[in-house]
Amino acid sequence: MSNLDQNQKKQECANQRECMEMLQLIVDDEASHEQKEHFLLHHLEDCMPCYKNYHLEVAIRQLLKNKCTGQAPQDLVDSIKAKVIQNLAS
Amino acid sequence: MELEEEAPKQHYSDSERENIFNNEFMPHINSMYNFGYRLTLDQDDTKDLVQDTYLKAYRFINSFQQGTNAKAWLFRILKNSFINDYRKKSKEPSKVDYQEVESYYNSEEVDRQITPDLRVEALKDMIGDEISNALNALDVDFRTVIILCDLEGFKYDEMAKILDIPIGTVRSRLHRARNLLKEKLSEYAKQMGYKTA
Repeated sequence: MSNLDQNQKKQECANQRECMEMLQLIVDDEASHEQKEHFLLHHLEDCMPCYKNYHLEVAIRQLLKNKCTGQAPQDLVDSIKAKVIQNLAS
Repeated sequence: MELEEEAPKQHYSDSERENIFNNEFMPHINSMYNFGYRLTLDQDDTKDLVQDTYLKAYRFINSFQQGTNAKAWLFRILKNSFINDYRKKSKEPSKVDYQEVESYYNSEEVDRQITPDLRVEALKDMIGDEISNALNALDVDFRTVIILCDLEGFKYDEMAKILDIPIGTVRSRLHRARNLLKEKLSEYAKQMGYKTA
Protein backbone atom coordinates (compact mmCIF):
# COMPACT_ATOMS: atom_id res chain seq x y z
CA MET A 1 0.00 0.00 0.00
CA SER A 2 1.34 3.41 -0.87
CA ASN A 3 1.65 6.35 1.47
CA LEU A 4 -1.13 7.98 -0.42
CA ASP A 5 -4.37 8.09 1.44
CA GLN A 6 -6.89 5.80 -0.22
CA ASN A 7 -9.15 8.76 -0.85
CA GLN A 8 -6.58 10.31 -3.10
CA LYS A 9 -6.89 7.49 -5.56
CA LYS A 10 -9.25 7.82 -8.48
CA GLN A 11 -12.61 6.29 -7.66
CA GLU A 12 -13.43 5.48 -11.28
CA CYS A 13 -11.30 3.70 -13.83
CA ALA A 14 -11.53 5.16 -17.32
CA ASN A 15 -10.26 1.96 -18.96
CA GLN A 16 -11.95 -0.67 -16.88
CA ARG A 17 -12.24 -3.26 -19.59
CA GLU A 18 -8.63 -3.01 -20.70
CA CYS A 19 -7.51 -2.96 -17.10
CA MET A 20 -9.45 -6.10 -16.27
CA GLU A 21 -7.74 -7.82 -19.18
CA MET A 22 -4.32 -6.62 -18.09
CA LEU A 23 -5.05 -7.67 -14.54
CA GLN A 24 -5.86 -11.16 -15.69
CA LEU A 25 -2.58 -11.38 -17.62
CA ILE A 26 -0.72 -10.24 -14.54
CA VAL A 27 -2.28 -12.62 -12.03
CA ASP A 28 -1.75 -15.44 -14.54
CA ASP A 29 1.87 -14.46 -14.97
CA GLU A 30 1.41 -13.95 -18.70
CA ALA A 31 2.20 -10.22 -18.78
CA SER A 32 5.52 -8.78 -19.87
CA HIS A 33 7.85 -7.13 -17.39
CA GLU A 34 6.94 -3.67 -18.69
CA GLN A 35 3.23 -4.37 -18.49
CA LYS A 36 3.57 -5.56 -14.92
CA GLU A 37 5.62 -2.60 -13.89
CA HIS A 38 3.28 -0.11 -15.44
CA PHE A 39 0.18 -1.68 -13.97
CA LEU A 40 1.41 -2.66 -10.51
CA LEU A 41 3.70 0.25 -9.79
CA HIS A 42 1.92 3.09 -11.55
CA HIS A 43 -1.68 2.39 -12.34
CA LEU A 44 -2.61 0.74 -9.03
CA GLU A 45 -1.13 3.65 -7.15
CA ASP A 46 -3.82 6.00 -8.27
CA CYS A 47 -6.77 3.89 -9.35
CA MET A 48 -8.96 2.64 -6.53
CA PRO A 49 -11.19 0.20 -8.51
CA CYS A 50 -8.17 -1.50 -10.06
CA TYR A 51 -6.36 -1.58 -6.74
CA LYS A 52 -9.36 -3.34 -5.17
CA ASN A 53 -9.83 -5.69 -8.09
CA TYR A 54 -6.22 -6.72 -8.06
CA HIS A 55 -6.25 -7.59 -4.38
CA LEU A 56 -9.55 -9.39 -4.77
CA GLU A 57 -8.19 -11.54 -7.60
CA VAL A 58 -5.10 -12.42 -5.59
CA ALA A 59 -7.21 -13.29 -2.53
CA ILE A 60 -9.54 -15.52 -4.55
CA ARG A 61 -6.64 -17.44 -6.00
CA GLN A 62 -5.15 -17.89 -2.57
CA LEU A 63 -8.47 -19.14 -1.23
CA LEU A 64 -8.82 -21.56 -4.15
CA LYS A 65 -5.37 -22.93 -3.50
CA ASN A 66 -5.99 -23.36 0.20
CA LYS A 67 -9.44 -24.85 -0.05
CA CYS A 68 -9.79 -26.67 -3.33
CA THR A 69 -6.87 -29.03 -3.46
CA GLY A 70 -6.60 -32.45 -1.91
CA GLN A 71 -4.72 -35.70 -1.82
CA ALA A 72 -5.38 -38.84 -3.80
CA PRO A 73 -6.46 -41.73 -1.56
CA GLN A 74 -3.67 -44.20 -0.90
CA ASP A 75 -5.72 -47.17 -2.10
CA LEU A 76 -5.98 -45.55 -5.52
CA VAL A 77 -2.24 -44.95 -5.69
CA ASP A 78 -1.57 -48.57 -4.66
CA SER A 79 -4.04 -49.96 -7.14
CA ILE A 80 -2.58 -48.00 -10.05
CA LYS A 81 0.94 -49.09 -9.18
CA ALA A 82 -0.12 -52.72 -8.82
CA LYS A 83 -1.85 -52.69 -12.20
CA VAL A 84 1.17 -51.20 -13.93
CA ILE A 85 3.56 -53.69 -12.35
CA GLN A 86 1.24 -56.45 -13.54
CA ASN A 87 1.46 -54.94 -17.00
CA LEU A 88 5.22 -54.82 -16.91
CA ALA A 89 5.37 -58.44 -15.89
CA SER A 90 3.08 -59.63 -18.63
CA MET B 1 -7.04 -41.79 -29.54
CA GLU B 2 -5.18 -38.65 -30.52
CA LEU B 3 -2.23 -39.55 -28.33
CA GLU B 4 -0.88 -41.43 -31.27
CA GLU B 5 -0.74 -38.45 -33.59
CA GLU B 6 1.58 -36.53 -31.38
CA ALA B 7 5.35 -36.57 -31.16
CA PRO B 8 7.38 -39.22 -32.95
CA LYS B 9 7.17 -42.59 -31.26
CA GLN B 10 9.73 -43.42 -28.63
CA HIS B 11 11.01 -46.88 -27.93
CA TYR B 12 11.50 -47.14 -24.22
CA SER B 13 12.84 -50.24 -22.53
CA ASP B 14 10.93 -51.76 -19.63
CA SER B 15 13.11 -50.06 -17.08
CA GLU B 16 12.80 -46.69 -18.85
CA ARG B 17 9.05 -47.07 -18.88
CA GLU B 18 8.97 -47.91 -15.23
CA ASN B 19 11.21 -44.98 -14.51
CA ILE B 20 9.05 -42.51 -16.46
CA PHE B 21 5.91 -43.84 -14.90
CA ASN B 22 7.19 -43.63 -11.34
CA ASN B 23 9.16 -40.42 -11.59
CA GLU B 24 7.27 -38.34 -14.14
CA PHE B 25 3.69 -39.55 -14.01
CA MET B 26 3.00 -40.63 -10.44
CA PRO B 27 4.17 -37.39 -8.80
CA HIS B 28 1.09 -35.71 -10.36
CA ILE B 29 -1.37 -38.08 -8.76
CA ASN B 30 -2.77 -35.54 -6.29
CA SER B 31 -3.34 -32.93 -8.97
CA MET B 32 -4.87 -35.56 -11.24
CA TYR B 33 -7.16 -36.78 -8.49
CA ASN B 34 -8.25 -33.27 -7.72
CA PHE B 35 -8.90 -32.49 -11.38
CA GLY B 36 -10.87 -35.72 -11.77
CA TYR B 37 -12.90 -35.01 -8.67
CA ARG B 38 -13.72 -31.47 -9.72
CA LEU B 39 -14.88 -32.77 -13.10
CA THR B 40 -17.00 -35.71 -11.93
CA LEU B 41 -17.90 -34.48 -8.43
CA ASP B 42 -18.08 -38.11 -7.39
CA GLN B 43 -15.38 -40.01 -5.53
CA ASP B 44 -15.98 -43.41 -7.11
CA ASP B 45 -16.08 -41.95 -10.61
CA THR B 46 -12.91 -40.05 -9.83
CA LYS B 47 -11.05 -43.19 -8.84
CA ASP B 48 -12.12 -44.95 -12.03
CA LEU B 49 -11.30 -41.94 -14.17
CA VAL B 50 -7.86 -41.40 -12.65
CA GLN B 51 -7.00 -45.08 -12.78
CA ASP B 52 -8.12 -45.36 -16.42
CA THR B 53 -6.08 -42.28 -17.24
CA TYR B 54 -2.92 -43.66 -15.69
CA LEU B 55 -3.31 -47.02 -17.37
CA LYS B 56 -3.91 -45.28 -20.68
CA ALA B 57 -0.84 -43.12 -20.12
CA TYR B 58 1.16 -46.27 -19.47
CA ARG B 59 -0.19 -47.99 -22.56
CA PHE B 60 0.68 -45.00 -24.74
CA ILE B 61 3.93 -44.20 -22.98
CA ASN B 62 5.84 -44.39 -26.27
CA SER B 63 3.93 -41.32 -27.41
CA PHE B 64 5.31 -39.37 -24.47
CA GLN B 65 8.56 -37.60 -25.09
CA GLN B 66 10.80 -37.39 -22.08
CA GLY B 67 11.65 -33.82 -21.19
CA THR B 68 8.25 -32.53 -22.28
CA ASN B 69 5.53 -31.54 -19.85
CA ALA B 70 4.26 -34.79 -18.34
CA LYS B 71 1.64 -33.05 -16.25
CA ALA B 72 0.04 -31.35 -19.25
CA TRP B 73 0.16 -34.63 -21.17
CA LEU B 74 -1.60 -36.48 -18.34
CA PHE B 75 -4.18 -33.74 -17.86
CA ARG B 76 -5.05 -33.91 -21.54
CA ILE B 77 -5.63 -37.65 -21.38
CA LEU B 78 -7.76 -37.27 -18.27
CA LYS B 79 -9.85 -34.52 -19.82
CA ASN B 80 -10.40 -36.57 -22.99
CA SER B 81 -11.33 -39.66 -20.99
CA PHE B 82 -13.76 -37.59 -19.01
CA ILE B 83 -15.44 -36.27 -22.13
CA ASN B 84 -15.56 -39.65 -23.84
CA ASP B 85 -16.43 -41.94 -20.98
CA TYR B 86 -17.87 -40.02 -18.08
CA ARG B 87 -19.52 -36.89 -19.21
CA LYS B 88 -22.62 -38.71 -20.43
CA LYS B 89 -23.18 -40.60 -17.24
CA SER B 90 -21.94 -37.97 -14.81
CA LYS B 91 -24.35 -36.51 -12.33
CA GLU B 92 -24.27 -33.09 -13.88
CA PRO B 93 -27.61 -31.41 -14.05
CA SER B 94 -28.85 -31.23 -17.61
CA LYS B 95 -25.98 -30.20 -19.76
CA VAL B 96 -26.27 -26.78 -21.27
CA ASP B 97 -25.11 -26.40 -24.81
CA TYR B 98 -21.65 -25.05 -24.62
CA GLN B 99 -21.73 -22.72 -27.59
CA GLU B 100 -24.86 -21.20 -26.19
CA VAL B 101 -23.28 -20.63 -22.82
CA GLU B 102 -20.20 -19.16 -24.37
CA SER B 103 -22.02 -16.75 -26.63
CA TYR B 104 -24.22 -15.66 -23.76
CA TYR B 105 -21.28 -14.96 -21.55
CA ASN B 106 -19.48 -13.23 -24.37
CA SER B 107 -22.30 -10.77 -24.76
CA GLU B 108 -21.68 -7.18 -23.83
CA GLU B 109 -24.43 -7.23 -21.28
CA VAL B 110 -22.61 -9.59 -18.99
CA ASP B 111 -19.47 -7.59 -19.35
CA ARG B 112 -21.03 -4.44 -18.07
CA GLN B 113 -21.92 -5.88 -14.71
CA ILE B 114 -18.70 -7.78 -14.30
CA THR B 115 -17.49 -6.49 -10.99
CA PRO B 116 -19.71 -7.59 -8.19
CA ASP B 117 -18.58 -5.56 -5.24
CA LEU B 118 -17.03 -8.43 -3.40
CA ARG B 119 -14.51 -7.59 -0.75
CA VAL B 120 -11.35 -9.21 0.40
CA GLU B 121 -12.58 -9.08 4.02
CA ALA B 122 -15.59 -11.21 3.09
CA LEU B 123 -13.30 -13.78 1.50
CA LYS B 124 -11.27 -13.99 4.67
CA ASP B 125 -14.36 -15.18 6.49
CA MET B 126 -14.98 -17.96 4.00
CA ILE B 127 -13.26 -20.60 6.04
CA GLY B 128 -15.60 -23.45 5.15
CA ASP B 129 -16.62 -24.99 1.86
CA GLU B 130 -17.91 -21.79 0.29
CA ILE B 131 -15.23 -21.47 -2.36
CA SER B 132 -15.27 -25.17 -3.14
CA ASN B 133 -19.05 -25.13 -3.51
CA ALA B 134 -18.89 -22.01 -5.65
CA LEU B 135 -16.34 -23.64 -7.92
CA ASN B 136 -18.30 -26.89 -8.16
CA ALA B 137 -21.45 -24.98 -9.03
CA LEU B 138 -19.92 -23.57 -12.21
CA ASP B 139 -20.56 -25.22 -15.53
CA VAL B 140 -17.88 -27.85 -16.09
CA ASP B 141 -16.11 -25.94 -18.85
CA PHE B 142 -15.74 -22.85 -16.71
CA ARG B 143 -14.74 -24.96 -13.73
CA THR B 144 -12.05 -26.61 -15.82
CA VAL B 145 -10.22 -23.44 -16.81
CA ILE B 146 -10.13 -22.22 -13.23
CA ILE B 147 -8.68 -25.50 -12.04
CA LEU B 148 -6.06 -25.60 -14.76
CA CYS B 149 -5.00 -22.00 -14.32
CA ASP B 150 -5.54 -21.06 -10.70
CA LEU B 151 -5.01 -24.38 -8.97
CA GLU B 152 -2.51 -26.06 -11.25
CA GLY B 153 -0.68 -23.07 -12.65
CA PHE B 154 -0.81 -24.04 -16.32
CA LYS B 155 0.09 -21.32 -18.81
CA TYR B 156 -2.40 -20.26 -21.48
CA ASP B 157 -0.61 -22.15 -24.25
CA GLU B 158 -0.55 -25.32 -22.17
CA MET B 159 -4.25 -24.94 -21.41
CA ALA B 160 -4.97 -24.47 -25.10
CA LYS B 161 -3.29 -27.79 -25.82
CA ILE B 162 -4.93 -29.64 -22.96
CA LEU B 163 -8.37 -28.40 -23.96
CA ASP B 164 -7.90 -28.30 -27.75
CA ILE B 165 -9.07 -24.72 -27.99
CA PRO B 166 -7.36 -21.52 -29.21
CA ILE B 167 -5.52 -19.34 -26.68
CA GLY B 168 -8.01 -16.53 -27.24
CA THR B 169 -10.78 -18.85 -26.13
CA VAL B 170 -8.76 -19.86 -23.06
CA ARG B 171 -8.49 -16.21 -22.09
CA SER B 172 -12.10 -15.31 -22.65
CA ARG B 173 -13.35 -18.46 -20.96
CA LEU B 174 -11.15 -17.78 -17.98
CA HIS B 175 -12.42 -14.24 -17.78
CA ARG B 176 -16.06 -15.38 -17.79
CA ALA B 177 -15.33 -18.18 -15.37
CA ARG B 178 -13.81 -15.83 -12.84
CA ASN B 179 -16.68 -13.42 -13.10
CA LEU B 180 -19.14 -16.23 -12.52
CA LEU B 181 -17.13 -17.42 -9.55
CA LYS B 182 -17.13 -13.92 -8.11
CA GLU B 183 -20.88 -13.71 -8.55
CA LYS B 184 -21.30 -16.92 -6.57
CA LEU B 185 -18.92 -15.72 -3.90
CA SER B 186 -20.70 -12.43 -3.55
CA GLU B 187 -23.95 -14.32 -3.03
CA TYR B 188 -22.28 -16.13 -0.14
CA ALA B 189 -20.90 -12.85 1.15
CA LYS B 190 -24.40 -11.41 1.18
CA GLN B 191 -25.68 -14.39 3.08
CA MET B 192 -22.89 -13.91 5.58
CA GLY B 193 -24.13 -10.40 6.16
CA TYR B 194 -21.62 -8.47 4.12
CA LYS B 195 -23.16 -5.54 2.37
CA THR B 196 -22.18 -5.61 -1.26
CA ALA B 197 -24.21 -2.65 -2.42
